[in-house]
Amino acid sequence: MKSNRKIRKPISNKTKTLLLMLLPALLLFVLFNTIPLITGAFYSFTNYRGYGSYDFVGFRNFSDLFRDIRVGKSYLFTFKYAIAGTILVNVISLLLAMGLNSKIKFKSTLRGMYFLPNILGGLVVGYIFSFIFTYIIPTAAKALNIDFLSNSILASERWAWVGVLIVGVWQTVAMNTIIYISGLQTIPADIYEASAIDGAGKWCTFKKLTLPLLLPFISTNLILSTKNMLMVFDQIISLTKGGPAQSTESISYLIYRNGMEGGQFGFQSANAVVFFILIVTISVVQLVITSKKEEQL
Amino acid sequence: MKKSRITALAISILTASSAVLSTGCSINNSREGKTVVKMLQYKPEAVAAFEEIEKRFNETHDDIVLQISSPNEAMIVLKTRLIKEDYPDIVGIGGDIDYSNFLDAGLFMDLSDFEGTEDIKPSYMQIEKDLEFIPQDGIYALPYAANCAGILYNKDMFEENGWEIPETWTEFIALCETIKSSGRQPLYFGFKDIWTTLAPWNALAVGLADADICSQVNAGKTTFTEGYAEVADKIKLLLDYAEPNPYAYSYNDACTAFARGESAMFVIGSYAVPQILSVEPDMNIDSFTFPANENESDNVLNSGIDLQFSVMKECENKEAAYEVLKFLYEDETIQIYLDNQNAVPCKKGDFKLPSMLDGMKPYIEADRMSDFHDHYYPREMCAEALIQTYLMDKNDNSAEVFLNRFDKEWARYNRDLIEKVKKYEEGLK
Amino acid sequence: MSSEKSFVSKAPDIRIKPAKEIKKDKDGKSKILLTIVLILGCITILFPLYMTVIIALKSPSEMTNDITGALSFPKILSLENFAEAMRVTNFWHSLGNSLLITGSAIVISLAVHSMAGYAIGRSMAKHKGFKFIYFYIVSGMFVPFAILMMPLVKETAVMQIDNMFGVILLYVVFYMPMNVMLYSGYLKNIPLAMEEAAEMDGASTWKTYWKIIFPMMKPMHATVAVLTALGTWNDVMTPLVIMSGSDKTTLPLAQLNFQTQFGTNYNLAFASYLLALIPILIFYIICQKQIIGGIANGAVKG
Repeated sequence: MKSNRKIRKPISNKTKTLLLMLLPALLLFVLFNTIPLITGAFYSFTNYRGYGSYDFVGFRNFSDLFRDIRVGKSYLFTFKYAIAGTILVNVISLLLAMGLNSKIKFKSTLRGMYFLPNILGGLVVGYIFSFIFTYIIPTAAKALNIDFLSNSILASERWAWVGVLIVGVWQTVAMNTIIYISGLQTIPADIYEASAIDGAGKWCTFKKLTLPLLLPFISTNLILSTKNMLMVFDQIISLTKGGPAQSTESISYLIYRNGMEGGQFGFQSANAVVFFILIVTISVVQLVITSKKEEQL
Repeated sequence: MKKSRITALAISILTASSAVLSTGCSINNSREGKTVVKMLQYKPEAVAAFEEIEKRFNETHDDIVLQISSPNEAMIVLKTRLIKEDYPDIVGIGGDIDYSNFLDAGLFMDLSDFEGTEDIKPSYMQIEKDLEFIPQDGIYALPYAANCAGILYNKDMFEENGWEIPETWTEFIALCETIKSSGRQPLYFGFKDIWTTLAPWNALAVGLADADICSQVNAGKTTFTEGYAEVADKIKLLLDYAEPNPYAYSYNDACTAFARGESAMFVIGSYAVPQILSVEPDMNIDSFTFPANENESDNVLNSGIDLQFSVMKECENKEAAYEVLKFLYEDETIQIYLDNQNAVPCKKGDFKLPSMLDGMKPYIEADRMSDFHDHYYPREMCAEALIQTYLMDKNDNSAEVFLNRFDKEWARYNRDLIEKVKKYEEGLK
Repeated sequence: MSSEKSFVSKAPDIRIKPAKEIKKDKDGKSKILLTIVLILGCITILFPLYMTVIIALKSPSEMTNDITGALSFPKILSLENFAEAMRVTNFWHSLGNSLLITGSAIVISLAVHSMAGYAIGRSMAKHKGFKFIYFYIVSGMFVPFAILMMPLVKETAVMQIDNMFGVILLYVVFYMPMNVMLYSGYLKNIPLAMEEAAEMDGASTWKTYWKIIFPMMKPMHATVAVLTALGTWNDVMTPLVIMSGSDKTTLPLAQLNFQTQFGTNYNLAFASYLLALIPILIFYIICQKQIIGGIANGAVKG
């Protein structure tokens, strides 16, 4: 592919080696991501149930998709959730990483502690947080006369997504914190010393030094957390199963439930294809913007 | 040199791990010349019973080896095995829409020539027939065990207070009022787990709507707005007798609450009994049929096929599979399963029924039973979510909105099926 | 800002220390405050953890819906649940498989992804083709697993890798977008000077990579290892669908034994989850040391 385009310049030995180094990854990726994706996309033009025979239905699945209110609602929920979640996760995990990176007591213990939420299984998280939302918070709210919390927010059509969001953020923060911590390690202390001599304030140091140097990690984290939030699934399964009144059905949840457990494999493949194209577009825009910013610095 | 060393290392890791991993994955189809019958059954909770059955079968059969697997998430496992073309010989699944779909996909063998079919209760054979999208010639599944749903009640609490088992809807509401005025809570719901809304829904629907309402709708003969109107009205009345905001509590919460005596009754199926007993092992639980009608004689017990067996079309050794089925339908084998699972047998005959089904026994013995309506609903339609939405809707026209939506979504999710039925019926004419 | 970058790359011999607060005297108070805030934040973790532990110690008949009852200690302190959970999940066998899968996935990921990340990270700016491949791989992150599932089941079955080996390869692919992104991003903060010096001396790109770059990326290796482990350790779906039909189980697969359609044994399940948490926590603590200590060592060697 490469050699065809650059006939004029012969490829250097270095580029050849680099291509070779890329090869195993690329091969695996094509084999276990691109090929199955194309196969899946193929089924989006059929009424395949996941087994047995199927017929081609042309673009029917896609035209259905745009008229399906339930699918529309799931997109609204997912994007609302993802936007709020991405912001919260990144702010919290950046603060947390800086806190855990400074010279404080119990640092290792604290780091280990903040790592835990991410490894607690879905069943545990679902049970504990349901208990907190259903029993503890309403009881406390009644005692304190806080009216709007006196019922479980997981049972509220309007606020259940916030409950899912709290748990989602609680679990995801660990992962992004790790990335931010390793990012902070790449910033040499000397720079801080220099800026301290210049008499720069803390906020100023953060804005002018830490943030720009962290930019590659911030863009990585933005993409990763956007991805995690857009694909929200585990928290839905363990907390609400899409309820109450179908207010927390995420796109991944619908694709899985109706595509795998139900008989809508073809239709949900179409849903997945549309979802995929949509996010790739968004993230390419996101990447282009952040990489422009990086180049400017 | 370094380079080749690392590459060599990487390659050796890869090959070593693949060698380690790929051993033990080849399954021999015949062990020492014996025929192997592979069976997959979808109830992991019954694994102990099936291990016993497997052991007894293999002890008494020299030429056949039975291998039963009871995986978790069995339906996903089964579907993936179908994709892999790694077919089991016999599958034990539930009598629900999954079976209808599998049958429609032509996965099963005709079992008409199996001798045991006459021993199975006709009501369950009928339920089996009703599960066919398009009426088929032949028999493709054998009902094995059923579960029943209705109302579980706290027997000790009822006896202490002298409450009577209601037989009509009016009596039932009166009982709820009595319990309520005594300071107790009549019902407890776990509607946070949406599937539990189907328990009262089905229990009412079997009594108030036609058993074949779904196929009637598919054939364009009626609508759900018509057929489910009374069901929708009555299910909403139940909310007055349950805890406030039942959408906050899960199935597990409800089981625990009922076990702890927080409610006198629990609208659920017999399948919930083990979970309740795990919390309160000494609890005295009994059950009765949901009295949905004003006439006792109109009431029907909600009972469906929880486990049935089919032989896959790909099965190479039909005789051996039949031998296994014959063994499964021996009275002794059935009793092993019943004792383990508190289930109701689909075979005729004298079996020991679990005590918590005492109240439902007259209906079981008189064969007054009808299948769970949701066994005919496509899963992707998620009727339980529609019901939950309806129950939460406080507007006056909620029933109308709900039933309209039910009809509309039904038509959308069953579009291909309705077309198929139409073609079939045109073919008949 | 470019001054900082050039400052770093011009002076690779200067010892780069991890970021630290400098003004020790003044910051004493704010340190204590920070520690207190962080410890308070821990309550949101300690409380659920406390609940998990006491539920794991109780018997099902001690389960209740009232708050004081649910938060109180079990009547009898016994580790019976843990023993039973180990028996039900066939613990050592499942643990072995889980370790093998997660461990192999990490090892292969480190090798394959770091090479790819290096190739991309160092040539993205120069060659459009590498940039395209970068976006192509990263976009793979957004493919919903459900659409890949059925085709992958078929594919692995045809290739006869519908076993643990297949699961490992799939994990390597699933975490490739994230890891390649992490590696290539990290390289931006590693100065080119050392590679250039090595190449000046006539070392091949391949040799330079393994001798200089790969060791220098140690903190990122640790990060990637932790993140890959996080994703694979608790995963149920991939082994469930790929290894269906074999009798091999992993810990999360075996943990499904505690849940059936109509009943869940939370007590045993929680005990089992706590047990499963230990290996990965230890792994994290080991890796954490590498993440923190790494960069300084790498720079010193240079």
